[in-house]
Amino acid sequence: MTSTLTDRRQIVQAGGALALALSLKYAPAGAAGELAAPYGRWEDLMRHKWTWDRVVRGSRGINCTGHCAFNVYVKNGIVWREEQQGEYGRSGDDTPDYGPRGCQKGVRQAKYMYGPQRVLYPMKRVGARGAGKWQRISWQQAADEIAAKFIHHATESGPESITFAMGTQMILKRASFASLFRFCNVSGMICPETFAGVGDLPAGAHMTLGNSLPGDSMAAVFKSKCCLVWVCNPAATRIPDAHFFWEARYNGTEVVTIAPEFNASAIHSSKWVNPKPGTDTALAMAMVQTIIADRLIDWDYVREQTDLPFLVRADTGKFLRGTDLGLAGEGAGHTFYMWDEATGAPVVAPATGVVKKPAPPGAPPEGHLGLGAIRPAVEGRWTVRTASGSTVEVTTVFELVKELCNRDYTPERAREVTGVHPDVTRQVARSFARSGAGMIFSGYRSCKWLHGDKLHRAWLLMCALTGNTGREGGGMQVTQLARGDGVLSYVFAGIGPRLKIAAISIWDYVHGDGKALNENAYGAELAEHVDRHFREAVANRWLPDYGRVPWKMAIMAGHNPANWRASGTRWRESVFGQLDTIVAMVPDMGVTAMYADYVLPISHHYERQDITMEGRTPYLQALDQAVPPLGESVDDFTAILRLTEAISRQARAQGMAPIKDSFHGQPIEHDYARMHELMTLGGKVNATRDIVQMIIDNSYGVPKVSFDELRERGFIRVEDSAQTQFGPGSPYSYETLRSTRDKVPYETLTGRQQYYMDHDWFLAEGEQLPVHREPLANPGHSARLTMGHARHGIHSMWRDDALLVHLQRGEPDVYVNAEDARAKGVADGDLVRVFNNHGSFVAMAHTSGGMQPGQLFMYHGWDPMMFRGRQNFSAVISTGGLLKPTSLVGGYGHLGYRAPDYVPNLTFHDSTVSFEKYVEPTSAS
Amino acid sequence: MTTRQVAMVMDLNKCIGCQACTAACKSLWTDEAGQEHMLWNNVETKPGPGYPREWEEKGTRSGWKDGKVQFGGLHEDKDFGTPVALNHEAVYFQGTEARLQRTEPLEYGPNWHEDSSSGTYPNNYHFYLPRLCNHCTKPACLEACPVRAIYKREQDGIVLVDQDKCQGFRLCNQACPYDKVYFNHVRRKSQKCIFCFPRLEQGVAPACARQCPGRLRFVGYLEDDGPIAKLVREWKVALPLHPEYGTEPNVFYVPPILPPAFDAEGRFDEDNPRVPMEYLRYLFGPEVDAALITLHEEMEKKRAGKPSELMDLLIARDWKSLFNIPDVRIASTLDGSFPGAG
Repeated sequence: MTSTLTDRRQIVQAGGALALALSLKYAPAGAAGELAAPYGRWEDLMRHKWTWDRVVRGSRGINCTGHCAFNVYVKNGIVWREEQQGEYGRSGDDTPDYGPRGCQKGVRQAKYMYGPQRVLYPMKRVGARGAGKWQRISWQQAADEIAAKFIHHATESGPESITFAMGTQMILKRASFASLFRFCNVSGMICPETFAGVGDLPAGAHMTLGNSLPGDSMAAVFKSKCCLVWVCNPAATRIPDAHFFWEARYNGTEVVTIAPEFNASAIHSSKWVNPKPGTDTALAMAMVQTIIADRLIDWDYVREQTDLPFLVRADTGKFLRGTDLGLAGEGAGHTFYMWDEATGAPVVAPATGVVKKPAPPGAPPEGHLGLGAIRPAVEGRWTVRTASGSTVEVTTVFELVKELCNRDYTPERAREVTGVHPDVTRQVARSFARSGAGMIFSGYRSCKWLHGDKLHRAWLLMCALTGNTGREGGGMQVTQLARGDGVLSYVFAGIGPRLKIAAISIWDYVHGDGKALNENAYGAELAEHVDRHFREAVANRWLPDYGRVPWKMAIMAGHNPANWRASGTRWRESVFGQLDTIVAMVPDMGVTAMYADYVLPISHHYERQDITMEGRTPYLQALDQAVPPLGESVDDFTAILRLTEAISRQARAQGMAPIKDSFHGQPIEHDYARMHELMTLGGKVNATRDIVQMIIDNSYGVPKVSFDELRERGFIRVEDSAQTQFGPGSPYSYETLRSTRDKVPYETLTGRQQYYMDHDWFLAEGEQLPVHREPLANPGHSARLTMGHARHGIHSMWRDDALLVHLQRGEPDVYVNAEDARAKGVADGDLVRVFNNHGSFVAMAHTSGGMQPGQLFMYHGWDPMMFRGRQNFSAVISTGGLLKPTSLVGGYGHLGYRAPDYVPNLTFHDSTVSFEKYVEPTSAS
Repeated sequence: MTTRQVAMVMDLNKCIGCQACTAACKSLWTDEAGQEHMLWNNVETKPGPGYPREWEEKGTRSGWKDGKVQFGGLHEDKDFGTPVALNHEAVYFQGTEARLQRTEPLEYGPNWHEDSSSGTYPNNYHFYLPRLCNHCTKPACLEACPVRAIYKREQDGIVLVDQDKCQGFRLCNQACPYDKVYFNHVRRKSQKCIFCFPRLEQGVAPACARQCPGRLRFVGYLEDDGPIAKLVREWKVALPLHPEYGTEPNVFYVPPILPPAFDAEGRFDEDNPRVPMEYLRYLFGPEVDAALITLHEEMEKKRAGKPSELMDLLIARDWKSLFNIPDVRIASTLDGSFPGAG
């Protein structure tokens, strides 16, 4: 017997105290209590309003990386409001402290958690996918049915036919994501990698530094003397920390925002530079040209820390290697040379050619970067006699950079690409180089261009030439991630690592016919170019072959791919829509849950316990439970336990044999009858707080406190975090500082900051050095739709909060240049249709003099459900099949498929659009 | 007679338009039926018609003129906009509607012109202006009230509308040139910002200030020797909004300094400010010229590596130093009970 959900409102009201709150909220005047309140003077009425029953420490633990400490005020059994806990300390001397943090989304959480988007009980689809027709079912029924599907697919097609993705709702709640990882680890499911998977991987940083996430605490911004805020809009996307930029400006720092549009950060900057969208690499290389031409170079740093003095053969374009000079043995192929001015001969670069002895994972590279008596030449050309007897010309990487810059990237030449006046380029470059602490503060958006890796490489080159990487207040800043040791202590407990992580870009290319997508959007030539490299990479075993197993079932925890997947509309229909079973574990409805077969209710951020750690501040933050979960919602771990209990029970009932599988070539088994026992560690881990404690106890650099103490205090400071840069005893990455301070080699092929990539594919693509490539365009369309994280939402969260929608246009809007709009007869507030050969969507035109002509700008995250025809911006983003050949390479030291350091980004920006006025058909609703 | 006057200084060089203040105020004070359209605190993009729509146009017809209060008329409801619910139930749970949207479209809202930059690219300009009741020394609203429901507290100069006395004549709404008095259609009373007096009485800064992640709101008493007095009186870099309205606001603004414009060739043009001076004079009066010169001079000192008391004051390294109120403390140390309840 099925019934649709006509009784939902009554269910909401059965929520007890909540019902009281709702009835008060919507009551007519007179019934609202306070008119009849027995207070004499009206001032007391207001004093009474600011009272509460309890205060609980809370935060959201979502993927905004804010992890702000809040006091959550409970009154009459419901969360009434929240306010920042506020009193933080500082990092370093003379810096502003971190207080109070927070933003409008955090301040809306108490209201949003009671909003009408909440999922209150398990639901099973009874209509077509996306029709919104549901049957309310019990948790038992939900778990039993999902478990039966799970066992069916795992048995028929293998566990790799099932994916379990974690998303932005919960991915920073460390205990919760530990529980999801463990579910994958004990079941053999594929865990889609959602870092490069959303185009967030600073691949160029990994290529150059062997560390994809260079970054210090946010207080380091205050220590900068020239801060280039580049492809980043912290005023909208780093709200809790944005104050450091403007405080730095008052303190004498030159803050330069570099963005095509006059964004919120530009308003408060010392300077605004406005390159054309997607031309940043050309601008950065023109700054490199200026730095070199003006000789504003930290020569000692360049000699010791970078590959810029390394010798390259003129004939092959390859590094001069030990094999060229007759060395034999394992290290010969990665023995590199410099030209020693002291001896007038090539000399082996220190710490290259080292043959790694067996060492535990994570052990630092052997050797030392110190030059001793060597005086490496940075500039010059020489001849070298090779072992084969031939004489070859060699020069340095620095010379090649100089030659490239003087040919293609003089500020005058770059202007033809960027539109930036050469005087501006030189002025900013000189200011940066002379400042003594030059910082490039960027965001993940730089990674969402197909050629974003070369922008990172160019930025790091600016930093290297001026000795800024590793310097306090200097270097390229994206973010910091905490070590995973505490999390993995639970994930791997008892059975070791067997986690199968898959790159979403490759997964989609295989399962979503990326070649056909590229053909349609960009033409057959590009499609074949990409596909040939993909096939070769798989054949070379540089990439796993995801084509072996069909994709049958997806479980998604707080993961909203139907919102953001590049080429999203097509993906939703042809890839996602083809799955046999879709399960969404969510606190709130959204497009992904809407198209699921089962929706499981997950507790909201103030209804659960967990911890978060983000390197933007030196604090570890607690989430405590302020109120019980609404309706039948439970936290992620509890939901997983209900699924694994059902899976193990059914496996036992069926007498199911362990599934045979392999991991990195080693045979393994998945015994589903024991899955539940493995999740609870034999009954030792029964609640999220048990995992929290395990993480605290096993995390390097985290004070050993009890969770009870932590939830009293709200946050604690991690170890070795007194300065703006995290020390080696902290739980955050120290890799880059380990090289600049302690001279430990970088984890790159050359052991140096590596600017020259001599892999055949890089040479073939002409990308051995950072060069500008024009972003791809859709034929016949010239406008660039650029995007960024939203001010009034975190990804897709809060996008449907009634107040925050009211503080925007009430519906999705797209910013357009006022004159571009006028030329098309579009007025501010009109609807426009944005389209290209891939698709179209409709949004409200928001005209502004701050948009560059030919540019449209839209915030990420607007839910397709809020658009006409459920088509959001992803309808015109045709980039879902783009794989950059150089991102697929392997067999080249640090470059090779390895999550999360070097997997191909799913990118979003390389498409172009047109727009026109849209008139709503009169019959449309 | 007011013996002490509480005041606020907002540094527009730090406001990022995030609306945390707006949301904080809304959750605390205006979350009841009849208050939907009210944002006692709002943030608007300037230049722009703001909230309520074209309030400055009405402002010129309100406030004081020749020693008399003027009544500038009332706004229509649609000038405020109302945050109505979305059709979640119909779309997500009943499947009866296809598109998630407000149950009534928004025609105009309090932040409608967010980042709608004025002028022509690339020499366009805009910035964020947070606004609340100015708790004026000469409140036009108080003067306008025919039943004396509006009073200015002696101990701190906060201007309040006594909800027991208010008869809903809405003359205060007409008189306030800043349009910072709102009408509650359910209760039939005028309501406005109370400067969070229940918090202030317990040494806690107003929610809009304490919850501001931008650290741009100084709170204190004009008579005390603190950042407020220094910024307003000593350095004269904090100015009232539209002083010509004549109400003598006690909320002050540090005027914004935007990056330089470009010349016709695309070079930085340091000589021409991005925001036209006439516009800043329109907002902050003729004193803004001197304030900007002072700010520029002091910023230059820091650029040159020299000390500047003013810049250190505006940097405000200690967050709590923004709040120069007696016994400043954080809300978590309070037990949440009604004051005096034992």
